[in-house]
Parts: sequence; C-alpha cells; structure tokens
Amino acid sequence: MLVAGCDVGSLTAEAVVMENGTLLGSEIIRVRPRAELSARDVMNKLLDRLGISFDDIVFCVSTGYGRETISFADDNLSEISCHGYGAHWLVPSIRTVIDVGGQDCKAIRVDEEGRLVDFVMNDKCAAGTGRSLELMSESLGVDVSELGPLALEAEEAVVITNQCSIFAEMEISQHLCEERKFADIAAGINESMAKRVKGLVGRVGLERDVGVTGGVSKNVGVVKKLESLLKMKFVEFPEDPQIIGALGAALFAAESAVKSKAR
Amino acid sequence: MFFAGCDVGAISAKVVILEGDAIRVQEVMAYKMLPRKAATEVMEKALANAGLSLDQLDGCVACGFARKVVPYANGDVPEIVSLSRGVRWAHPGVKTVIDAGGQKIRAFNIEENGKVIDSATNEKCASGTGRFIEVMAKALDLSLESASALFLEATDPVSITSQCGVFAESELITHVNDGRKRADIVAGLCRSVATRIASLVRSIRLEEEVAFVGGVARNTGVVDYTSKELGVRFVELGVDPQAVGALGAALVARERHHGT
Repeated sequence: MLVAGCDVGSLTAEAVVMENGTLLGSEIIRVRPRAELSARDVMNKLLDRLGISFDDIVFCVSTGYGRETISFADDNLSEISCHGYGAHWLVPSIRTVIDVGGQDCKAIRVDEEGRLVDFVMNDKCAAGTGRSLELMSESLGVDVSELGPLALEAEEAVVITNQCSIFAEMEISQHLCEERKFADIAAGINESMAKRVKGLVGRVGLERDVGVTGGVSKNVGVVKKLESLLKMKFVEFPEDPQIIGALGAALFAAESAVKSKAR
Repeated sequence: MFFAGCDVGAISAKVVILEGDAIRVQEVMAYKMLPRKAATEVMEKALANAGLSLDQLDGCVACGFARKVVPYANGDVPEIVSLSRGVRWAHPGVKTVIDAGGQKIRAFNIEENGKVIDSATNEKCASGTGRFIEVMAKALDLSLESASALFLEATDPVSITSQCGVFAESELITHVNDGRKRADIVAGLCRSVATRIASLVRSIRLEEEVAFVGGVARNTGVVDYTSKELGVRFVELGVDPQAVGALGAALVARERHHGT
C-alpha cells in the first residue's frame, strides 16, 4: 500500500512516498509562487523518479505553511505534529526535537510513540531564527554558511549581549571597528544564537534524546555550542532532516489509509 | 559666557552651545560606529559655525550612550537629567517627555519642581527606535528625510503587524511586491512605530503638556500618528527635538560652573 506526505514551507517543499512502513523515496525543491504549485511539482518529480502514478497513492497528507490549499491531499496536519512524528520514526529514542528554520525556532516534545506532548516557539521576535543568523553574518560580510567553519578558528569569542537582531548588528559593527578577529566575531554570533535557542527551548523542558533539525542545524558552530550549553549530545538522523515534516505526514497518511480501509 | 553640551547617541552626535541664556548654535550629525571621533567632529562643526574655539568654552558636559568617551567634556550627566532640563528650558509647562532616539525609546514624568518621576524605556527590542526606522528606510531604498516627507502623500496606509524589525522588513518587501504605493508603505511603517511608542508611554502617566523629542520626533509621520494614538498634541519647543539632550547638558554645564 502506497502513501505520501507533502510539506510546503516558506523556502522549500518536500515530498515523501512510503510503502508498508518503508521509505521509498523523497524529494526537495525550492518553492514556487503558490503552495499548490510547489506541492504538485515536488510530488510529480518524486513519483516520476519512482515510476509510480499518483492514482496508486492510497492516502496523501499535506503539512507546512500552505497545507490547506493543496487540493490533491486527502487530509492536512500541522507541521509540528508531523515534524515530531517523523523525527521519532527515524530515531525512536527521540523525545525532543529542536527545529530552527528561517523564520521560526521551536522545540517539540513527543511521547514514546512519537505523538505531540507539548511545544514552544518564538512569536514576536526573530532572535534565534535563521534570518537573524543571516543578518548577523551579513554585518560581518560573510555568507551564513561560512559562520560555522570560520568560528572553528576563533581564539576568544566576542560577547554579543543584545538579543534583538537590529541591536546585535550594531554591536557587531562595533566589534569590527575595534578590529576584533573575524573568527572571534563569528564564534560570538554562533554563541549568541545558541544561547537564544537554549533560552527558548528551555521553556518546554528538554527530555532526552534530543535532535536538532532545520537550516541552522547545518551550522556546526551553533550545534556544538548548543550541545555544550545544554550539556548533552544530539542524536544523528539517518536521513536528511529536511524531509522529516513530509515523512511525518506520510506516516500519518499510512495510519489514515488503514483506518479508512477498516471502515 | 559660553557653555556647551554634547550628546553622543548610538547613531548621531549633537552639540548645543549656549551664550548666556540663548542658543548660539545647535549641530546634529549622523555617524557610524566611532563615537569618540563623532564627538570631536560634531564639536568642531559647532565651533566653526559659532565662530568660536574650544578654549573659549567655560564648560562642557556630555550625555548620551557614549557620554564617557567625549574627550573634551568636563563631566557628564544621565540623559534623563539632560532631557528634562532641556525640555523645561524650552517649555516650562511640560510634565511628560517622550524621547525616541537611535536605540532607546523612553517616556517619563517631570514634577512641578523639575524632579523626574516614573520613567519607562524599551529594554531588549529595537522596535520603534530610530535604528528600526533606518533599517526600514534602507529596505525601501529611501533616505530618512524622503521617508518622512513621503508620508504626506499616503492615501491608504498598509498594515504592518510584526513588532520585530526583522519580520517587519519581510512584511515591507511583501507590500512592495504586491505593488503597494511607497507612500502607503511608509505611512504604515510610521503608524507601527507610533503604536510601539504609544504603548510605552501608556505605562506612565500621560499628563499635559507633553513634549516629543529625539531624532524620531523629526519624522512627521511618526509624530502625527503618535499624537493621534495618544489623543494629545505635542508642545512646540522651538528647538531641534534631536538637540534637546545636548541643550540640557549645556544647561547643566552652566549650573555646575556657577555652583548652583
């Protein structure tokens, strides 16, 4: 029995196809102007590659920012539930997922079956999100992807006291003026980011094991600092963490397919 | 006798020179990053415009974020003191002061005897500050002056729901992409800044007369919306609202010289 999950975010869209509890394949694309278009494109691309027709998909669940507008999906669920469920399926010992994306930062707690228990996320303030990290790296004049490697050469990380991204930018300019080393500023940026994420996720209570997903998980500097602040090692995911939301949606689709058959 | 006040904020430096009880010169200069250098430059400009030299000054007091690094000052004073002195000199009836600068917004009450009571400031967030407006103007590719003037042409201001500057910036870009008029976007931005300032002011007593000072007070859109939101008119001070802190510092320099 074939099922599918589709996750349309603000930057990328992902699709996953599963057969009887096995992951058959996944696909990631940059989003198109409309959620429906992105969903169709990513799904068709994946189905073409797998040589499957959409008619063979018994149940499809959509999730993410544009989940309600996707007409080919049989149902839609919040990305928070899907993210937690998908992460738990990949690593069954996981109880907390920290997800740091472009515009949000959340911590999701799940039970031993992967069901959502609680979550927290930023609302009014961009501190602790990928966009904030991007702005800080822009003030340093480096690409956000360079922050991690650059920070490894740091001798003495600068201290960035402001949480607000706009004030932090001014602070970074000040450090540049004082001719602090780029590596030390990069390390300071990563540290401030890690501190902010810690402050936010601390509110939900971290139960082990813990995994980190989202674009910021690719910055080794932030991840290492966050591990040391939280005094723990994060689990490794056997698949690209970017597909976790779509994977969770496909898992929920499989359950719904079983239920609708039983009826 | 000549007394000077120098106010070095986060993004601009100001000098006022008093001759007796009259303002001889007021100078406002935007700067980036080097407060000590800015303090020197703005004083050089003020002295040149006044036709004076530094040793003709009988006293100089500094205030503002970088007040401890002004090389020529004889002393310094907290902004809240310099602002209340400056406002009271310009308009003795003022009981509430709203100050919106580069990185600080604050509101406080002044008692009859000039004592400052009840004050509130923004702590962690840049929303509603001058730097916030600068970032937004940059996103719209406008100078601060033209952004202020453009507000007058607005017919249907956009709504900006994010308080955070980072999120507000992406909201602005969405409005630009939707083909909204720049004047309407600017007006929406002014209104969101005003809402933020007004909510801070509401945490103290709003007692008339009310003065609105600081660099942000030069933006007519923000002043207009703040006035409407609070339901009060602001007093005319007759001095550059951005230079009020420097004016107060000059008054403090004069007091200290005369030992009063």
